[in-house]
Amino acid sequence: MRDVAIIGVGMIPFGRRDEDSLMDMLAYASLKALDDAGLGDKGVNAVYVGNMGAGILQHQTSIASSLVDRLSLLPAAADVVENGPASGGSAVKNGLLAVASGYYDIVLVVGGEKMREVTGWRATDFVATMAHPQVEYPYGITLPGMGGMFTRLYMEKYGVTREHLLAVSLKNQEMGALNPYAHVEMTLDREGIFDSPHAVVNNPIAADPLHLYDLCPVSDGAAALVLCPLEMAKKMAKLPVLIAGFGQATDTHTLQEREDPTELKAVTLAARQAFEMAKLKPADIDVAELHDAFTILEIANSEHVGFFKKGEGGKAALTGKTRFGGQIPINVSGGLKARGHPVGATGVAQIVDIVWQLRHELPKNRQVKNARHGLTVNFGGFGNNVTAFVLKRVEP
Amino acid sequence: MKKEIAITAFKCKKCGRIHYPYHDRCLDCKNREFEQIKPHGNARLLTYTVIYNLPWGFDQRFLVLGVAEFENKIKAMGQIKVDSIEHLKMGMKMLPSWEPVRVQYGEDVYGLKFEPIK
Repeated sequence: MRDVAIIGVGMIPFGRRDEDSLMDMLAYASLKALDDAGLGDKGVNAVYVGNMGAGILQHQTSIASSLVDRLSLLPAAADVVENGPASGGSAVKNGLLAVASGYYDIVLVVGGEKMREVTGWRATDFVATMAHPQVEYPYGITLPGMGGMFTRLYMEKYGVTREHLLAVSLKNQEMGALNPYAHVEMTLDREGIFDSPHAVVNNPIAADPLHLYDLCPVSDGAAALVLCPLEMAKKMAKLPVLIAGFGQATDTHTLQEREDPTELKAVTLAARQAFEMAKLKPADIDVAELHDAFTILEIANSEHVGFFKKGEGGKAALTGKTRFGGQIPINVSGGLKARGHPVGATGVAQIVDIVWQLRHELPKNRQVKNARHGLTVNFGGFGNNVTAFVLKRVEP
Repeated sequence: MKKEIAITAFKCKKCGRIHYPYHDRCLDCKNREFEQIKPHGNARLLTYTVIYNLPWGFDQRFLVLGVAEFENKIKAMGQIKVDSIEHLKMGMKMLPSWEPVRVQYGEDVYGLKFEPIK
């Protein structure tokens, strides 16, 4: 197996992009990554596209074939990778394995989703197609609904409070306001969403006990990266970032069949595999992007990857340990909460953000000092398919 | 007339683990033989939520949902018949029923509903 490096990254601002088609967004992000890699007209051997819903939302299939044609990357191999909200992470995995095996040298991975062209009603239904088709979906369950039931159990077992959730929400919105790629570039005011009579109106219950500002927005967006063998990367212009570790694990489709539904086994296993491959520990990580589709998930993920003991994640968020400048900065990009969550794009976008951190390319107000190791966790379904990556700065 | 709860769960003939929904192999011991079992008695509410952003197909303001465990250990999701979740508590006893839970293509789709036992 060869070591694999990321040599180019690109992202387009997430949000509501009425003017762009899904293919526009995939192409824009891809070109940015190819240009960042300095590949010029050099060939790309293969393209992996992470996308969950083009067939449902855009009534369009075979989008990887369309993309290579549009980008004039023919005759590159091209595949779509669909794995729910972990489609991006799974697409990167496919690229990683293809290069590591020696089969391909240069691989483009792009993740994208266009969710805002349908009504909220339809978008909610689209995401809910991840639920079990016989024993969950018919009841009207949504992913935020699952998040609400999970939160209630987590509160009961570990004493997580709305204050803890609020700390995550305020932190991620504060960072998102500094990120030009974020969907919601807006800070939140504690009083406005929690402490005052107006909070009931500004921050209503969405999926009890989760409120509106505990949830990520529904977004359009795309992100891309270019992979090649580390030895080849060392001869290229950009500082390479090594994919030092990768892990992926699955869990039962329904929450009800988990012995302890507060246990996110797939997160624990995926992170453990990634750390073992990288020969690193959670304490070695300088910056992390964890899948915070709901504020509770940042807290639970921070515990399950090993940053904090079970039951300590909420307190860690409340006391500033996960803030920019804290013990382990989590979601400095604003996370899904503020950067947004175009489902197929998220796993790729998390890695792009960590690459910028490890190359030390971000402005001072978002750059984690001397960042050398980063972690990403991309959470599919309700934790039934999770990918984790450990990335490492390659010193020049 | 009250309808029978049309749920079938699957008890592993080797290790006894109860599965709902169906799996081809036992999640614990990989055995492929199951005894079909029906839910028995009342249920105990394990967790619940109320959602206000409903998916396509639901023309109502909110929906109360939960997961409950029957007396013979089958766990299942269902809709909860309350006006407000103020009336709910984890662990409380629920009366199960089999009723329309949504309409699809003009037809009622039946499923589990739970109602708190006062």
